[in-house]
Amino acid sequence: MKEIRQERTPACYQFALELEAYMEGEKEPFVPAHAHECAFCRVILEDLEALRSAARALPLEEPSPAVWSNIRAQLVAAGAFGERVGFWNWFGQLDFLPRPVPVAAFACLLLLGCLVTVPRTYLEHQATPELSALPASTPTRSMAFAGDSGTLERAVRELEETFRAREGSLSPDLKATYEKSLNSLDASIRECNDSLEREPDNSLAHEYLFAAYSQKAQVLSSALELDEGR
Amino acid sequence: MSQQKIAAPKAASETQLIARAQSGDEEAFAALFEMHKRRVYSLCLRMTGNTAEAEDLTQEAFLQLFRKISTFRGESAFSTWLHRLAVNVVLMHLRKKVPQQISLDETDSSQDEPVKRDYGDNDRRLLGSIDRISLSRAIDELPPGYRAVFVLHDIEGYEHNEIAEIMKCSVGNSKSQLHKARLKLRDRLRQNEGLMAPPEPVVSDQPATER
Repeated sequence: MKEIRQERTPACYQFALELEAYMEGEKEPFVPAHAHECAFCRVILEDLEALRSAARALPLEEPSPAVWSNIRAQLVAAGAFGERVGFWNWFGQLDFLPRPVPVAAFACLLLLGCLVTVPRTYLEHQATPELSALPASTPTRSMAFAGDSGTLERAVRELEETFRAREGSLSPDLKATYEKSLNSLDASIRECNDSLEREPDNSLAHEYLFAAYSQKAQVLSSALELDEGR
Repeated sequence: MSQQKIAAPKAASETQLIARAQSGDEEAFAALFEMHKRRVYSLCLRMTGNTAEAEDLTQEAFLQLFRKISTFRGESAFSTWLHRLAVNVVLMHLRKKVPQQISLDETDSSQDEPVKRDYGDNDRRLLGSIDRISLSRAIDELPPGYRAVFVLHDIEGYEHNEIAEIMKCSVGNSKSQLHKARLKLRDRLRQNEGLMAPPEPVVSDQPATER
């Protein structure tokens, strides 16, 4: 390949001085005029323009799924999400389990069994005028859990056992955050159980107990999701 | 969070999602994350040149977003607001990490040398040979100060006055650093591709005759 060796001319110095302004869009007619005459300066100009175009065309990069898991885990552990978790959302949290379908089916069967076995007198007792004004599903759902706190407790316990088995892989800070959140939820669960011991028919306590277990399930599942994302 | 859960609220307008996220709706926040994660992560990645740091900073940016989203009043586009927040998160990180390296007011004498003269024929230019990977690698190798200005201007599309405000430097300084960053990138790319045969530039003390 033929090699051209050239030396800097005064015009090349002027080109170098005016190049920055030209690249910024300022009117520097000397730059393109000199580039037209000087092969080396032309290469510099074309390279810089190509670089600028290539930079603009760089594609966006995709973060790993662990980023969202970490964000969500921290927000959940801090109790940042204000919306109450619904029944089916809670089931959605089970999708990280090795066998989510059998677990969900088992839980559904247990709930159905509880619905069938809840004493009719208990249902009638709960059907106050205020509740009857609500959509039909609301009191029924609450009462299903009122009669099934053991099932929910067992499901959460299973989650907790899985979490305990894997918690060693979490960073100490994150682990401490989860522990704090779990301790707080355990305290709520204890309070609700104490209330229910005194007043077994206290629907509000049943509601709070369900909410506490749901939140605990969510915290545990987010920790396990995080662990799986590593 | 499964993709299905995130995809569901995508149809909703961003304004609705923001309003829901402001009231602590997890799905809305997840949808906002899905919509903006690539741009925020790419910014963090280009500015740091490190995937682990970029993921940590993306995480920090979205956590800050959640903390501050209630203060968003819609005076600017949400993406602009979020992007600026992410830029600040990255710059804070870089300043803590290597404070001296991202000061734009410091003079880097190595960058003040005149434009290098290359040997070779005029067909040997970068034009058409800048691939994404080599460019990304060359950007990663830039000193943090140059990298920040180059990323903000040439990739993210910020204007020099905005960069000057963000980086707390003058507009002239931003322009100057950008130009030096481009020249340095060019050198790196040419070195990587073996286009620059001799390491030293040929600069004659005596001006040559006009070609």
